[in-house]
Amino acid sequence: MKKNLQWKVVLALAVVGLAIFLAYPYNDQKIKRGLDLKGGIHLVLQVMTDDSINIETDQEIARVEDLLKKNNITFEKVTKAGLGRIAIAGTLADQEGKTRDLFDEYTRDWDYTFTGDRANLVLKPLVVQFLRDQSVSQAKETIENRVNGLGVAEPLIQRQGNDKIIVELPGVDDPDRVKELIKVTAVLEWKLVKAGPAADEETLLAPYNGQVPEDAEVLKGDPKRGQGGFYLVDRVAVVTGKDLRTIRRTTDEWNNPAVAFSLNSDGGARFEQVTGANVGKQIAIILDNKVQSAPLVEQRIARSTGGIIRGRFTAQEADDLVVVLKAGALPAGIKYLEERTIGPALGADSIRQGLVAGLVAVLAVMTFMIVFYKLSGINAVVALVLNIVILFGALAYFRAALTLPGIAGIILAIGMAVDANVLIFERMKEELALGKGVISAVSQGFSRAFSAIFDSNLTTIISAVFLFQFGTGPIRGYAVTLTISLAANLFTAVFVSHLLFDLTVKKSAKKLSI
Amino acid sequence: MQLFKTPNIRFLKYKYIALGVTALIVLAGVLNITVFKGLKLGVDFGEGTLLRIMLRTPTTEGQIRDLLQTVGLGKSTVQKSGTSGREFQIRAMESNPTKPGEQDQLEAHEALADKIIDALRGDDGAAERARGLVDLNGLDEKSLTALLEEGFPGSGPEAAQKILSYRNQTGIIDDYQVLDGLGIKPEIQTFLKDKTYLGKLTVLSRETVGPQVGADLRRKAVQATIWSLLGMLVYIALRFKLEYGVAAIFTLAQDVLITMSLYSFTNREINLPIIAGILTIVGFSINDTIVIFDRVRENQKLLRGKPLEEVMNISLNQTLSRTIITSGTVFLTVGALFLFGGEVINDFAFLMLLGTIEGVYSTIYLSCPVVLFWQRWFGTKKGGRR
Repeated sequence: MKKNLQWKVVLALAVVGLAIFLAYPYNDQKIKRGLDLKGGIHLVLQVMTDDSINIETDQEIARVEDLLKKNNITFEKVTKAGLGRIAIAGTLADQEGKTRDLFDEYTRDWDYTFTGDRANLVLKPLVVQFLRDQSVSQAKETIENRVNGLGVAEPLIQRQGNDKIIVELPGVDDPDRVKELIKVTAVLEWKLVKAGPAADEETLLAPYNGQVPEDAEVLKGDPKRGQGGFYLVDRVAVVTGKDLRTIRRTTDEWNNPAVAFSLNSDGGARFEQVTGANVGKQIAIILDNKVQSAPLVEQRIARSTGGIIRGRFTAQEADDLVVVLKAGALPAGIKYLEERTIGPALGADSIRQGLVAGLVAVLAVMTFMIVFYKLSGINAVVALVLNIVILFGALAYFRAALTLPGIAGIILAIGMAVDANVLIFERMKEELALGKGVISAVSQGFSRAFSAIFDSNLTTIISAVFLFQFGTGPIRGYAVTLTISLAANLFTAVFVSHLLFDLTVKKSAKKLSI
Repeated sequence: MQLFKTPNIRFLKYKYIALGVTALIVLAGVLNITVFKGLKLGVDFGEGTLLRIMLRTPTTEGQIRDLLQTVGLGKSTVQKSGTSGREFQIRAMESNPTKPGEQDQLEAHEALADKIIDALRGDDGAAERARGLVDLNGLDEKSLTALLEEGFPGSGPEAAQKILSYRNQTGIIDDYQVLDGLGIKPEIQTFLKDKTYLGKLTVLSRETVGPQVGADLRRKAVQATIWSLLGMLVYIALRFKLEYGVAAIFTLAQDVLITMSLYSFTNREINLPIIAGILTIVGFSINDTIVIFDRVRENQKLLRGKPLEEVMNISLNQTLSRTIITSGTVFLTVGALFLFGGEVINDFAFLMLLGTIEGVYSTIYLSCPVVLFWQRWFGTKKGGRR
């Protein structure tokens, strides 16, 4: 054997060996199946990033009021003038200099302007962008935690664009629960009840002349928890979900599912003080602005005791509440833009049929090649098999999922792989017809056909790369399998196939089996 | 084996007729897409809800449509899939669509899907549920395992796995008798018959796309297609000459247009996987075009004196057996997909079958003439350097 042939054999065996090593043993962990084949849930959700700007604005209003009061600057009131905008009414002209100094020092995230008696604060664009971005990444993290709490194998959670998050959960069979679990904001608050529950708002507010007091707000009970009425509660929470130290599922004294919690030292101290001062009053436990229950404070609750949340939970609801509370609240509301639930039966069907069709197709092509090109056809078949082996090795290596459009990509690639062999073989026949010797016809066949094979494969790879760059889900799956198989094609149909001819065709051969 | 000796067909003699025919087809297609039937956008690009359901007993599209009519969803498209008469695809459409606010469009679509499922279920299982039974065709893994574990602490979970895997394979349990075949113990069967009932329908898949994502997917699909076409143009222009790149793009544009028209004519919906199908056709067509261009490039060096049209004819003849063999094998592959590939692949395969023929035709009668006319009009030097 010639020296350079030896090296080629080593290279070919190495590449194929590596591919087999990567893909063997073939199983679900090695070659992931996409949702369309495996079943599962695909969600695209949008984070309402405005929420985070609103929260920042509300907090800033409180800070500004505080700042002005502390520095004895008289003002009428501080109000929200829009998203990331605050208006301060009644800033006297002679206080402007002092106020400017204060703003320069304390409200660096805000631009300010003075017009007559008013001052306007506008959240700086860079800060707005930062807050939006942060709320999306926090939301993503929170959703990740929640999904992990569910125990789904191999979830995929990724950001898309400015404010979207894609969640893919393979093999989940109760979509409604998952959707709910991801969507709840899960802001948990304990607030003192001023009045309620009442059947409607009027009855509730009657003692207050129909006006909601400035330091209070009206909240509805959660019908799911058997709380029908309206409550008037303090605006400021005693403790919130952020003060939780531990949280777990438990049962109450009637053996119904409930959630037990304990508070950290800071929150515990506040809880102890407030409950001590308000014995005999109700304290509302509020989840996402809905009152879950409003137990009576019977005595001062010591900081180390903690408590339980009850409210006609089913065992699963209690479990889910623990999961979301552990994962923390979402920084902003979310909205679903796209929901796809694929049942396992549909995927199983597609796979079975796809597999049969694929096998029939490949076998038909292989039979044709051997019948038509005889021994040379066997070369082509070997190249085709190796191509598929390399493809699966690469899929395993890149951890790319196999999808239905991906299979379409493989079909195109197989078609082009066969075409490469056909091009070469037809060229050899032409050369033989011109009266060339076997060895020269073989090498001319390969070298003359090469430019066409190279150009057509590369053109398609270029288009696939653009498809991958700009495309979404299924189109990407198509681009990936196509690119890999075409690259493999240049190796198997040209390099390996040529090598096989070199190894099998004798120098003295008078006839080529083609 | 040899297909034929040395064919000598004067392909380009018919270029004017062919161009005329092509122009007519494209025009008809464009008119059909823009004026007459239009493209039917599936849920991926056009928003809405697509349900795939399986029933315990066979029924017809008409019966389902009648049922939906009663709840005001008579405009929904109902399509049978498979041959069992038990699987259907339903795209929800309201007879009198109300325009909900942007905010709750997705919820509105979802509500339609719920309405359809409720309508199809009717009062099936209501009596059973009232007695506290649960739907064995609807139970999720956790609940079924819990149920059986309670009744049969030892063997329960294993039986639950068997039942689930059967259900995952077939979609629906149509009779308790299948449990026998699964090797489920008689006492477990009796227990199940006692505690569960067999619901008449399961939802195989449910896909809802809101307006924002629909528009987004549409834009991205168009963008991806345009950029990949441009990428090919640049590469071919560099490797061959500008006019070859332009010709290739003309060809591809025609391929895309004609396949889209086929979809329009046959009332098929355009969905994301179909884009992959269109791109595959484009892929084969460009492959074909490049093989011929490559031969022309080579022959221009060998046959210096001859006019381009002559060179093209010779090249087309030289590569003819390859063209036929390759298209034949592709046809073989796609034919297999068409016959055995099942519902989801079937549409795609149909497209490919016609697309393969169209791809070969467009190479001969669009790519080559475009190069020819370009050189005539812009007077590029005969022969060519490369």
